[in-house]
Amino acid sequence: MGELLTGSQILCRALLEEGVDLLWGYPGGAIMPFYHALPDYPGLRHVLVRHEQAAAHAADGYARASGRPGVCVATSGPGATNLVTGIATAHMDSTPLVAITGQVPRAMIGRDAFQETDIIGITQPITKHSRLVEDVEELAEAVREVFAVAQEGRPGPVLLDVPKDVQNAKAAWDDGRSDRAPADRAPAIGRPAGASHGPDLPFSNAMALVEAARLIARAERPLIMAGHGIILSDAYAELRELAERTGTPVITTLLGISAFPESHPLHLGMPGMHGEVHVNRAIQQADLIIGIGLRFDDRVTGNLAAFARGAKVIHIELDASEIGKNVPVAVGLVGDARALLRALLDGVEPRHCNGWRAEIESFVRPRFESFKGGLSPDGILGSLEECTAGRCTIVSDVGQHQMWVAKLFRYQRPNTHITSGGLGTMGFAVPAAMGVALARPGEPVWAISGDGGFQMNMQEIATMVQERIPVKMAIFNNGYLGMVRQWQQFFHGRRYSATPIWSPDYVALAQAYGIPGYRVERAEQVDGVVRAALAHDGPALVEFLIEQEANVFPMIPPGASLSEPIESETVAV
Amino acid sequence: MTMTQRAVTVLLEDRLITFNRAVGLIRRRNLPVRSIAVGPTVTPGVSRLTIMIHSDEATADRAVQHLQKVVGVREAAAFPARDGVTRELALVKVRAAGDRYGELLDVVQLYHASVVDDNPDATIVELTGSEAFVLSCIRALERFEILEVARSGAVALEAGSEAGARVPANI
Repeated sequence: MGELLTGSQILCRALLEEGVDLLWGYPGGAIMPFYHALPDYPGLRHVLVRHEQAAAHAADGYARASGRPGVCVATSGPGATNLVTGIATAHMDSTPLVAITGQVPRAMIGRDAFQETDIIGITQPITKHSRLVEDVEELAEAVREVFAVAQEGRPGPVLLDVPKDVQNAKAAWDDGRSDRAPADRAPAIGRPAGASHGPDLPFSNAMALVEAARLIARAERPLIMAGHGIILSDAYAELRELAERTGTPVITTLLGISAFPESHPLHLGMPGMHGEVHVNRAIQQADLIIGIGLRFDDRVTGNLAAFARGAKVIHIELDASEIGKNVPVAVGLVGDARALLRALLDGVEPRHCNGWRAEIESFVRPRFESFKGGLSPDGILGSLEECTAGRCTIVSDVGQHQMWVAKLFRYQRPNTHITSGGLGTMGFAVPAAMGVALARPGEPVWAISGDGGFQMNMQEIATMVQERIPVKMAIFNNGYLGMVRQWQQFFHGRRYSATPIWSPDYVALAQAYGIPGYRVERAEQVDGVVRAALAHDGPALVEFLIEQEANVFPMIPPGASLSEPIESETVAV
Repeated sequence: MTMTQRAVTVLLEDRLITFNRAVGLIRRRNLPVRSIAVGPTVTPGVSRLTIMIHSDEATADRAVQHLQKVVGVREAAAFPARDGVTRELALVKVRAAGDRYGELLDVVQLYHASVVDDNPDATIVELTGSEAFVLSCIRALERFEILEVARSGAVALEAGSEAGARVPANI
């Protein structure tokens, strides 16, 4: 019989047992017993956010940067529902996020009690697993279960809903339980066969590996498409080895950016809707695509019926249900990217693709940018790269600047580009960058947003100040919801409906929060301001007034094939 | 890409939340569902869910892969309905005027159905068979006044010893 503890104390101990040392949250009625216990556990640092959505994004950012689960805490009702966008963001991008919500006492559940909401029901489609803890006796086990599910196989968000009276109820805490390996849990529940994260490969992969090696040996125009799975499984060295041994050019998807060094001669760039023309053209002409840790999202493939019609596809993916979901495959390999790449490398002979690479080289067009001189995203990102010597992590928001950030900075180090890819969540960058900053102390972390997305979560500057989180915020201010405006220009006859957006005086705003704020209007100011922001020990804000109607080129119109890019204004209008 | 009737069978914890997750997934993935049936198995704590869909093989296989990821799902499998036995049960409450009661009994006998409740103003007929059989029988009963129909949705087993969603020995 172990020590008798309250549910709240058990929750804290179980979190510590999982190696948690950081929580992002916001207290409220139904989670108060937990917050009452929290000060007794100094190993759990709590960061008070200004809105629960930011807690979820910050925990997500922390998880993406550290590879460990990020944890956010909210009360029942509105606290819990405010987490929803953050949970959905983590779900689409396979992030191990653990959300802990207070719930009304058990006897009140189902009676429309004050601040009651069925958060389990609400989040069911956007969580990997969720659990309402109905008995304090099962609380410790529930914590272990949700942490295990969040991390194993393809990572994802989980939610633990803890009624207030369960937080207050007492149960025996047995440290001995911590020795129990996750494998002792119920057998294989929810774990797809062959999705283990270890080096053991399911038998069915053996034949597929032989076939994959054969296809690679025979291909004349092979391409590697690398996605988030490379980063999640830490398969950078294996990816590079495969590319170099076979001379195969590497394309990195939006979430695969920084999985492969961009200065490498085999790196091609980003594919899809805003991918470079030569990248998309290479896809359309390839005879073999080795897709690793990606899901062939519609923003990557364009019109599926016209996608890479001459290519056989080898799809290496942890989640079996992704294989063949969008693109028919010749060979599907289910498992951890790193383990599978290692196994594949055993059977792959050295070769080169010099002819094919020269052909792709001939597809390269001079990049058309619509910047009319002055302050350009190109110049800003170039300055960031130079002033940090490339040693920084960039967290982007969603929209035009997101594409510029993806394309105009040369990422050399693994996992240094973080963005909301699948859900495309505006307002992500600022709070997520807080999580990244606490996961990577000592490294500059830039949150780059547009003037729209920044205003969605700019309240978090207060969190940064109170908690001394040194995020450098950059705003690409063009006075528009730029990407929507661009679509309106191209596809809606320039009817700029609801896209002009007013901004406050950001320098004054920074001042109000007591942090340095800078406004940059001319190219020659960029370096100095970037260096000043970097030199400041703490959060800083830089507003870049960029050209109002600059566009992101090239662009594949929605529903069109990768062979039909819009390359410049003249074609667009 | 042959579109045909397929059974997706799932063994899962017999908790509402797990059932909810499995069915929610079917809705979210937009599966062409024709019927859903759920009931207990010989293993305590485990239910069997049978979802009949009209789809190609790839769609059914993907449904299985998605279902296998649901926490609380032990096994999932799919097979074309023609490769196994599919049955559903229907209870049909019929009113037959006194002078037509004999005619009702003839129909019941013809379809190997049975009368399971008999009141002066209404008779409940029980039918079991394939979906087509049940529909045909209900049509035959339409010559009387049908007051209410309760159908179970189909359950299915794949023929032969290659069991699909079988309870593993260790649970």
